[in-house]
This record gives sequence, structure tokens and C-alpha cells, in this order.
Amino acid sequence: MKITLKCFATLAPHLPDNADEFPIEPNETVVSVAQRIGIAPDEINLIFVNSARAYLETELQDGDRLGLFPAVGGG
Amino acid sequence: MMKAQQLAHLIRQFSEDLPTKGKTLPPKAIAQIAAETNLRGWQIESQALERGVMPLRYSRNAQSITITDQRKLLESSVAIVGLGGLGGITVETLARLGVGRIRAADHDSFEPGNLNRQALASMDTLGQPKAEVARQRIAEINPSVEFEAQTVRLDDETMTDFLTDADIVLDALGGLEMRRALEQAASKTNVPLVSGALAGWTGYIATIMPDNSGPAQIMGTNNAAEEKLGCLPMTVNYVSALMVNECVRLLCTGKSPVSGHMLLIDLATLTQELVLI
Repeated sequence: MKITLKCFATLAPHLPDNADEFPIEPNETVVSVAQRIGIAPDEINLIFVNSARAYLETELQDGDRLGLFPAVGGG
Repeated sequence: MMKAQQLAHLIRQFSEDLPTKGKTLPPKAIAQIAAETNLRGWQIESQALERGVMPLRYSRNAQSITITDQRKLLESSVAIVGLGGLGGITVETLARLGVGRIRAADHDSFEPGNLNRQALASMDTLGQPKAEVARQRIAEINPSVEFEAQTVRLDDETMTDFLTDADIVLDALGGLEMRRALEQAASKTNVPLVSGALAGWTGYIATIMPDNSGPAQIMGTNNAAEEKLGCLPMTVNYVSALMVNECVRLLCTGKSPVSGHMLLIDLATLTQELVLI
């Protein structure tokens, strides 16, 4: 099973080289993927899977697009 | 002479027939009619459009914005909180578009660190209050706009008054601290809110209709990425353009596909994602 990963702003440096085909285990959650790429849960403010809001406990499916977005508030 | 008749007469008197554009009003004529009638420029322009006379300053809007919609913009009132990076370029764009009334607030003055991205920051305006600089700039660009700018730090209480009678409010705040209070005040006063924020190459906008929740709760109030990444001018201008686009869409149609969503953008990867929140 593989997903596509996107990391924004301060999380972007954690994006792995294989982000377009990132392998996951069956029933693997968002928080597990985040930790595998070195992002602590409290660094993430908005999670989305396939353009809908998701959560740390959301289980990922084959082909999902996962986005991780931190607190952003500049103007 | 009745005021309406006087206005109609003056619009006829000052209008010029141009070969490809039809009846038009040059910018200086608006100011002359305003001086004679005590009407605001936006009121004169709206009446001119109703009579089939195009104010020349909007002639290049007219190919893409209908006369009905241009009149809606002229007769609209927009409130904007923040006149820094997002706010400065946003009020300039709104004035060029022909949004009739703009009320803005910012407590700050320009400092050297603003020069990389804030459209109203220049060598001449360093140290000056942002609200005052914005007032001068808007008067230079489009004196038809009724622009009111306050040098004030809005708080939970004054925010509600500030939003009264606005058709839309734009959140151009710097930092996350006051964004939740603004969302709540907009909801309380029943005013749709368009929020924008950025850090480095990344940004987002959100359109929040009253009673819906927006990004403020999701983003929290601290550890914001802009402390680490700063704010780049192209990201500022892009996010501002998206905010103004939302504003125009809401003023003209009353609805937007961004409502209930966040539109995330990243210029480093040329990503755009519309996320249901």
C-alpha cells in the first residue's frame, strides 16, 4: 500500500524522497506516518486526506493523499 | 433643481463619447461632480453606470465585471483588519476595483522589516502609522472610495463595533493571536469573513459564513510558522489576490465554493488544495 505525502511550511523539510509513493502498513494511522518522517504530533495543526479534514487517528488507505499543515498566521 | 436631476445633468454634461467605449466619465469629472453635489465619488459612479455612462477608471474591469456587479462593488462596504503585508496590497486592489467604502484598522507604524513585502512600506513611510499611509495611498489611487482608517488595536469589544454595517470583513491580521476574536465578532455581527495567512512559501485563505467555524481554532494561537520562515512578498501578494477574489465573489453573488473550506497554497511546489474543514 502506498500514499502520497505533502508537508507544508515548517514541515516541508521532513518530506521524504519517496513522498509520491510512500509505503504504509495496513491500518496505519496519520500519527504513525508523521512520526516515521520525524514530525511530532504537536507540530501539526491541520491534517487532510484526499481534500477532507482528517485527524491523527485517521487510518490511511492505499492511494490516499495525506497533507500535513502546521500553524500558519503571518500577514 | 432636485438633486437627482442635478446629478443626471452633471453626468451628461461631463460625459465624453469615445469611439470604441461609448459614453464615459474621466476620473477628474467625478471629482468635479462630487464637489458640486456633495455626493461621494462611488455614488456618482454608480449613478453614471445606471445611466449607461462608464467611469473610465473602471473601463478595463468592464470587460469581465458586468455593470450590475460593478455597481454592487461601488455600493459595498468592506471592513479590513490589518494594514501590513496582506492588508496594504488588499486595500489597494479593492480601491482599484471600485469597492465604494473601505474601513480599515491597524495600530502599527512601518518599520524596516516591513520593506520586503508590505506594499505601503517605503523609505518615505518608515515610522509612519500604517493607517495614515493607507489613507493617503487610497486617496491618490481612487478618491471615489470612502476610506476610513483607524490607528487602533482592536480588541474583543471594539471589534464588534468595527464590523457593524460591513458587507464583508477581511482578516489581514499578522500573527494568530487575534484571529479567533475576529472570527467570533464576525459571526456575532452576522458578517461573512475572508481570512488569509501565510508563512514563507505557504499560505491559505478561508471564507467563513456566520455560524460556521474557520481556521482560527485549527491554527491555535502560538508557535506559528512565520516566526521561523518569515513572510515572502510573492506569497503575500498571492494570498491577497485570493482574498480579494473571494471578496468580489461574495459581494457579487453572495456565495463561494471556498465557504466551509480552506484553500491552501504553496509556491515552492506550486500546490493548491481546497480542503473541507
